[in-house]
Amino acid sequence: MFDFVFWLPVMAGGALAGASSGLLGTFIVGMRIPFLGVCVAHAALAGAVFGSLGGLAGQALLLPALGASVLTALALGLLDPQRVRLDDNAVLSFLFSATMGLAFLGIGLHGILGRSDNDVRSMLWGSLNFCRWRDVGLMLASSGAVLAYIVVFFKELRAIMFSRADAEAAGIRVKVVWSGFLVLVAAVLTVNFQTVGGLMIYSLISNPAAAAFQLVKSCRRTLAVSAVLGAASGLGGFLISAATDLPSGAVIVLVSSVLLALAAIVRRCR
Amino acid sequence: MSPPAVALEKLVVRAGRRRLLDVAELRVPAGEIVAVIGRNGAGKTTLLRACLGLVKPAQGAVRVLGQEVWGRDAGARAQLRRRVGYVPQLLPARSEMPLTVREVVAIGRTGRAGLFHPLRPGDWQLVDEWIERLGLAALARRAFSEISGGEQRKTIIARAMAQQPELLLLDEPTANLDLGWRERMVAAIQQLHAELAISILLVCHELEVLPPACRRVVLLDGGRVWASGPPETIFTDERISALYGAGLRVAHEGGRHAVLPGSGAHV
Repeated sequence: MFDFVFWLPVMAGGALAGASSGLLGTFIVGMRIPFLGVCVAHAALAGAVFGSLGGLAGQALLLPALGASVLTALALGLLDPQRVRLDDNAVLSFLFSATMGLAFLGIGLHGILGRSDNDVRSMLWGSLNFCRWRDVGLMLASSGAVLAYIVVFFKELRAIMFSRADAEAAGIRVKVVWSGFLVLVAAVLTVNFQTVGGLMIYSLISNPAAAAFQLVKSCRRTLAVSAVLGAASGLGGFLISAATDLPSGAVIVLVSSVLLALAAIVRRCR
Repeated sequence: MSPPAVALEKLVVRAGRRRLLDVAELRVPAGEIVAVIGRNGAGKTTLLRACLGLVKPAQGAVRVLGQEVWGRDAGARAQLRRRVGYVPQLLPARSEMPLTVREVVAIGRTGRAGLFHPLRPGDWQLVDEWIERLGLAALARRAFSEISGGEQRKTIIARAMAQQPELLLLDEPTANLDLGWRERMVAAIQQLHAELAISILLVCHELEVLPPACRRVVLLDGGRVWASGPPETIFTDERISALYGAGLRVAHEGGRHAVLPGSGAHV
């Protein structure tokens, strides 16, 4: 029998992770940098790994994870693509490979030093089924911060998504707004990461936003549809996995992929 | 007397060791149209980016609307840019862009409104006014990515004009447009200047793009000003042939200029 009270925080966590990732995904996919999700997630992992080597455990690993992901996001935000003559995706590949290298070096060091890396490994894959109200509270706080930031800086983010260079030429404080956004992305993804894992984060950022782009035209509507599709992926995926006894993370990823495919079909039929 | 809209003095812009621009003097008097003509790679876009404070000069002074661009912090530079409309040569070509034409034009009001302030009804009124004036009303709710290249370029001009700029910088405003759209664009620039007496700095490589109101042109070659003056004086067969490295003739009529094939001999 389905224990609704026990699974309620898991459902809330899945829906929140989907909704917040969907909101962020609108701008991230709109700027064609979906790789940002995995990059920040691996930076968080590297931070957690070295935090664990330093003697931290459990929820305390969130702090070094957050520090590493925020630093990575800031590095991307403050780099001037024209000065370094690399586009954002090239910078992201560099940051991704560097942070992944650091993370796996740290995991290797756990073995060499005879330390347990269980906490770190559970972070890598996520553990949605163990999501409790305390995790939901953190996710709610970070999602609320994202929503507030998007409401306050909506017009600037919309302009930056259209073209960072044009936004700067129009006198918009691109570096300030974009760096702030990236720091929030890092915070939200780190909080979501320990609950849902890296693969799910990537799919929840990319798929709902890409599906929304197929269905609506304006930025405001895209944000709303993306958040709803993200929440539907998280919640629907969990419910299907509970009914079929399949792994929840994999089902959530597949549900978001199916929603994207359906949205593309709907657009084609119009 | 108003200060010049743009005044460049002893300006040098480098990319590494390469000298992209080396301009002894260039002025755009307030309320006039000045066109900078040159081959691909002559430094035209860099010149506009220097005026916007988007590239830092190695030497020299850039004054825009009477203010030194580089003697100030990033915030003050952003404030100055809000008084300058910019139409870039390259338009974002992302097919999945979830922005309507109206939202793109509204970007012009974004900097003006300032951080922490949403766009007010007056801003949207200006946005709709420029959409109407540039003949885009029927497309206002269409996705920017779904309209034609000419319509996209008009949308970007509407965005620049919604900024209520005192200076308009146009980078190859008719790039990739067919002849019909090119003529519509030239007419739109001429009309904007006639109605608003706005200062315009236009860079292009085609003489046909110049509106009749443009009474001063600058030939740029290898980052240096090669000649400047009234178009009828500067656009001679010899100069244009030498500039583009081909035998060419120039025809002038009604304030417009056209390049025709000459002897066919390469210079």
